Amino acid sequence: MDKLHVFSFRFLLFAALQVFVFNQLSISSYLHIMIAPLYVMLLPFDFSVFRLLIISFFLGVIIDALSNTFGLHASSLVLVAYLRPSIFNWFAPRDGYDPLKVPSIIDMPNKWFLLVFGILLSVHHLWFFAIESFSLSEILLILQKTFFSCLLSLLVCIILQPLFLNKAK
Amino acid sequence: MFFLFLQIITLYTYVSYMSVPKSSVFTSASYVSGTLYEIEHSVTKHFHLAENNENLQKENMRLRKQNPLFLYKKNRTVLSANDTLYAQQYDYIAATIINSSTTNRNNFFTIDAGKMQGVKRGLGVFSSNGIVGIVHNCSKHFSVVKSVLTSDINIDVMIVENGAFGLLKWNGKNSRYGSISGITNDIKIKKGSKVITRGGSGIFPKGLNVGTVHSIAPLEGKPLHFVKLEFAEKYGALQNVYVVKNKFLTELNKLQLEQ
Repeated sequence: MDKLHVFSFRFLLFAALQVFVFNQLSISSYLHIMIAPLYVMLLPFDFSVFRLLIISFFLGVIIDALSNTFGLHASSLVLVAYLRPSIFNWFAPRDGYDPLKVPSIIDMPNKWFLLVFGILLSVHHLWFFAIESFSLSEILLILQKTFFSCLLSLLVCIILQPLFLNKAK
Repeated sequence: MFFLFLQIITLYTYVSYMSVPKSSVFTSASYVSGTLYEIEHSVTKHFHLAENNENLQKENMRLRKQNPLFLYKKNRTVLSANDTLYAQQYDYIAATIINSSTTNRNNFFTIDAGKMQGVKRGLGVFSSNGIVGIVHNCSKHFSVVKSVLTSDINIDVMIVENGAFGLLKWNGKNSRYGSISGITNDIKIKKGSKVITRGGSGIFPKGLNVGTVHSIAPLEGKPLHFVKLEFAEKYGALQNVYVVKNKFLTELNKLQLEQ
């Protein structure tokens, strides 16, 4: 299991990056970079929903504990983990997924990654901002925040991947 | 099923911690995150050092002007009678912000003072330029402060010129502007009027700076003004704050409850 230490190291890296780098970049009310969904996305294809839920729950709780969001990150990451298998099935290639590969932009076709990750990221951001505001009268603000933050997060997530991922042999 | 279970847990904690936090374990007031942020702050505090020094210098200058030692004593009897005429109503605890956000819908600050220094939930926090927020949760060494930049901060403020008062609100968009709700449109308000705390709830002393009136617009369908307020404090670069403790708060609350 050489995979285990890779994923635990990456777990800490993502939590630290999110809390100490991206949460500290207060660019604007409309621009929040959230990279935690990328961690859930990059977990192996053969992980069960149960495993995904547990891992993303703990990642969320750690980020929440450090950034005074009291459960917002955990809630939205759990949602991402729950939706991931269904969306993967939806966009599965004809001959299924290769379990040796990782669902990243490096191993998978660009179009597939952008589509699947784009959907998960939008759902994550929309849920996050909706629960944060918790009011229907701010729906316009929520949608604006979701749209602008999603674009930026997606860009950052794409740039991040080549930095620590190798192509599967 | 398991998904629903986790979702309920997270949402329940979110809603309950937003109103009344039960413990400080899962907030940045906890020992572990407080210490982590203190390490981070030891690096990042230098980023706004010049600005913060300037602010403190200005405040010192203002306080120096008020110091009776530097004033010409016109009437000595008043000054000598100071001790019996005035009692100290507020205690102040100096603290440093070690973590903050200004762009979320609800923003919180972490400060490096906690129960050990006498900080309690519900105390007011202000800086040399203006009010900052209200203590939300504290541990032994750290506290989380609910900043003015949250949806339900509701601090009572008033306009200096005519005494019109209302509640301070923030719409979540720009950390430089807030608004005052509840001012009826029969009161004339000028742009640029100074806004201060009213001191009604006893959390803040009366007369702390909040900001200035930026613009006024009619509220549709209601006999009220929409008063946009420009905050005096730049919350993004804030470091040095004071926690204010009203010695007569329990007395005030008791009296107001009796009515």
